[in-house]
Amino acid sequence: MAASTQQLKADVLVVGAGIAGLQASLDLADQGKSVVLVERKPSIGGTMINLSKVFPTLDCASCITTPRMASVAHHANIDLFTLSEVDGIEKAEGRFRATITKRPRYIEEDRCIGCKRCEEACTVFLEDDFDHGLGAKKAISIPFTNAIPQYPVLDAENCLLCGACAKVCPTQCINFLQEPKQVEVDAGAVILATGFELTPIDAKPQYGRGGFPNVLSPLQMERLLAPHGPYGGVMRPSDGQTPSSIAYVQCAGSRDKSLGVPYCSRVCCMYAIKQAMLLSGSLPIADITIYYMDIRAFGKGYEQFYQNARAMGVEFVKAKVARISEDEGHNPILRIERQEAGTGPEEVRHDLVVLSLGMVPAWKPSQGGLIAVEADTDGFLKSPGMKLSPALTTMDGVFAAGTATGPKDIVDAITDAGAAAMAATNYLARTQPAPARHLP
Amino acid sequence: MTETNTSALEPSGDPVRVGVYVCHCGGNISDVIDTKAVAAALAAHPNVAVSNDYMFMCSDPGQALIIDDIKANHINRVVVAACSPTLHEITFRKALQRAGLNPYLFEYVNIREQASWVHKGDHEGATRKAVRLVAAGVEKVVRQDELFPIKVGVEPHVVVVGGGVAGMSAAVALAGRGLGVTLVEKGVALGGRVADLDRVYPTEERGADLVQDLTRQVEGHSRIDVRLGSEVVGLDGHVGKFAVTVRTSSAAPDDQDHLVRAGAVVIATGFDHYKPAQGEHGFGESPAVVTLPDFQAALRQCPASRRGLQVNGRPARSVAFIHCVGSRQIDGVHAPQADGKVNDYCSRTCCTATLHTIRQVQSRFPDVDVYDLHKDIRTYGRGHEAYYEDASRAGALFFRFPDEEPPTFAASTGGEYAGTVTTRDILTWGEELEIPVDLVVLATGMVPRDIASLIDLRKLPVGADRFLQEVHPKLRPVETGVAGILLAGACQGPMDINEACTAAQTAAVKAAILLANPTIELDPFVAVVDGERCDGCGKCLAECEYVGALTMADVEQAGATVRHAVVNPAMCVGCGACAAVCSPRAINVAGWTLDQFDAMVDAIIAEDVGALAHTECRAGVRHIEFAVISGGN
Repeated sequence: MAASTQQLKADVLVVGAGIAGLQASLDLADQGKSVVLVERKPSIGGTMINLSKVFPTLDCASCITTPRMASVAHHANIDLFTLSEVDGIEKAEGRFRATITKRPRYIEEDRCIGCKRCEEACTVFLEDDFDHGLGAKKAISIPFTNAIPQYPVLDAENCLLCGACAKVCPTQCINFLQEPKQVEVDAGAVILATGFELTPIDAKPQYGRGGFPNVLSPLQMERLLAPHGPYGGVMRPSDGQTPSSIAYVQCAGSRDKSLGVPYCSRVCCMYAIKQAMLLSGSLPIADITIYYMDIRAFGKGYEQFYQNARAMGVEFVKAKVARISEDEGHNPILRIERQEAGTGPEEVRHDLVVLSLGMVPAWKPSQGGLIAVEADTDGFLKSPGMKLSPALTTMDGVFAAGTATGPKDIVDAITDAGAAAMAATNYLARTQPAPARHLP
Repeated sequence: MTETNTSALEPSGDPVRVGVYVCHCGGNISDVIDTKAVAAALAAHPNVAVSNDYMFMCSDPGQALIIDDIKANHINRVVVAACSPTLHEITFRKALQRAGLNPYLFEYVNIREQASWVHKGDHEGATRKAVRLVAAGVEKVVRQDELFPIKVGVEPHVVVVGGGVAGMSAAVALAGRGLGVTLVEKGVALGGRVADLDRVYPTEERGADLVQDLTRQVEGHSRIDVRLGSEVVGLDGHVGKFAVTVRTSSAAPDDQDHLVRAGAVVIATGFDHYKPAQGEHGFGESPAVVTLPDFQAALRQCPASRRGLQVNGRPARSVAFIHCVGSRQIDGVHAPQADGKVNDYCSRTCCTATLHTIRQVQSRFPDVDVYDLHKDIRTYGRGHEAYYEDASRAGALFFRFPDEEPPTFAASTGGEYAGTVTTRDILTWGEELEIPVDLVVLATGMVPRDIASLIDLRKLPVGADRFLQEVHPKLRPVETGVAGILLAGACQGPMDINEACTAAQTAAVKAAILLANPTIELDPFVAVVDGERCDGCGKCLAECEYVGALTMADVEQAGATVRHAVVNPAMCVGCGACAAVCSPRAINVAGWTLDQFDAMVDAIIAEDVGALAHTECRAGVRHIEFAVISGGN
């Protein structure tokens, strides 16, 4: 290992800084435990910070996520590493040794003041991953408005090395030659909050394999609905028209053995209902239809939320969508059979369609790397103590939080994170008798 | 006795310099309110030194604006006009603190809920209103005292109410953390509802084994004191120092009440099964109609024999399961509950429990015909969907009834079967079907237990569904509105075992956080008595609703003994009822003084922000700090 390798010791290593990883870190740090939190992306906040509003409270997601993000970033007991990958965690003599690679942002973080002048000066436009391809970003840019930390990242693959950014930087912090840095962490316990990805939009040939411009993923719709979204409103990507008829295809990535996702993804019914409500607000004359198998509004206040959506005029049609095609005007056409009407198969045209995609694990043990815990048949981490000890994994001292152990919504991920933090705390009490660091 | 250190600050040479920051809230505010105009209007206020607007004040760069202005521009008071203070007041107080300013020299003005959201159609009016609200905030903050948090010494002990899996789970977690626990269980044994279950989904473990596992851990812990046959009958004090009275009725009459001092309380009182009304789907009218828990008990006792499934001594060759009994009820379709409302919530567990039970019937008695009548099948959990699929594969027939037309049961006299279930089925285009059955199983949901006496002890918040209510259903799912009182399991809403244990361990971690340090810090917005003005009339005492918060005491003052109002800051909630009746204005809520209210009203009715008077440097502003509260209650 290079001499410049940073060495750190912590009570707990938390992998993943989505809402579950953030909450687990806070629940440990607030007890006085020291935490190293590692996030692969350039900002913390996970999927939650990417959402418009959340069900069933309709709170603005940015407004309720940023306080948690800021609390983590400013916590004296939390060391945060973003744009960093955990290459591997080995267990030896009751401790966990992790090697972490901190990828280069190509800026000197200690000098950057987040002024965005580099971003303004850059002339290279790229697809914006935060807006899921609906907007553009510069080759050097801060990932999104309320990203934490507020440092730009230079996309080395697409940078023209023109030097425009370096010229305008008031603190000369741009460093085109920056190298990855190695960090070694020695921790007493590990929490895996590795999160989820959407089932791929191009997986299903019957739904056009992601080739129709007006068939969106639910996260694309979240961005369109967000107050600071790419278009400043809900428009069709193909022509910028305001849609007057929008449809949701439920179970587009779940309860479907052909996709290898036989399970229910738990959140899709509720996010579709929430988006339908938000659309009714922003496009009052639009017709919104949800094609579903079962509406699974099972959480606290969710059934009432569902009934409110029905009362607001959102149409719920019990039908499995067999196929999606489009006409020459890029209008999606759904082939369905209404189970309640019994009028046989029919084709329905909508202006915009959202596929209610499901959840698959963002990291699977079969991929290797990270740590040698076991997966269950659904690909998510195995929970050997599912009923009474939900945070356990197959390795002693390694705990799971959030969607690492299966689809969950925000409140379930937060509750899960608390349980993981409690389990890790008690594991430390049993195995690491040394006193914890106390709050100042 | 608590000492309050109140002193007028030395008028410093620094003038009052207020920084005003108007947040766009990413469009939530700026789509309606002209935030630039609000910032510009406030810049005219004689005490305002900096006035700006920004996309997200709560973001790191937003907070950095404030910190930079405090450090570089000598701002010594801050007003943020943004969303609700419940979301970000603490965020900004911490920012002030990081900049070296007293965190209470801050005022949060809500121009989202109170202006942009409620005046969507009137941009100019909303902007004018925002200017006045922010001006009032400025007037308030220039009169703001320098405050310090109240420090309360904590008892490293937790009372857990309820000895089901949630309560036991919380107790074990807390004891493992090194905290003392008193586990109070009303019944004669630990285990709660799970003890009644044979096998549990999806692990197929025995309910009794799960209970035994937890019971062993509870009983093996020296730090857990189990009190069976006991109830909580007193709940005084406050976070860090509750005084909980636990009554054991079976004990000797003079030894029934036991006082436990605890820093936090976890409520894990569980749920009751919904009991169908007389005649609901034929319940109570025919022995052929039973609830799911009763059927599960009967199934457990039914011997494997060639005679097939027997329930209550009668053969059950054809069984219909009806979902959503007591759940997802609809006004006008279902009879209201005792409180006049229907149970409009989903009970979450009954779908999978029903299909799990159907699978048991199918595997033990393959000849039984099984019918499942539902609105939606909600097998959402990990491993749940397999029960639905397997039940369907093994021949169960599924019918979907319309919300407004629940299935009915009619007993037959002398027919081949015990009766007929009639239902409309959406899956076959609304056809009406008659199903001959020997048995109808009602998948009854969960209802809140009657814990009114516990709720009344502390006015615990209860939701429209009558379950205990959390502070925020998304972000703070196990905390109640009463600091230090936490929720675990189905007392809060329907949950399965896994979910209840997860919630319980989260409640435990929140208690562990509260009790991690020797003292807890509380907000200082409590009543403060000005000894010089108090004439000891005692009117305030008559108004105070919080036992122990306010007392009259003889105090030495300038060589004489005078009678004064005295506040216990840990018990006072800062409601201001005392201040409202005090004619000499001797009692005020710190951070919310009557002088501040006067100035805010003047600002709201003023026509022009620029015409408001300049307030001189820190005149009359005090430094209010309380001694650590460590004594008993």
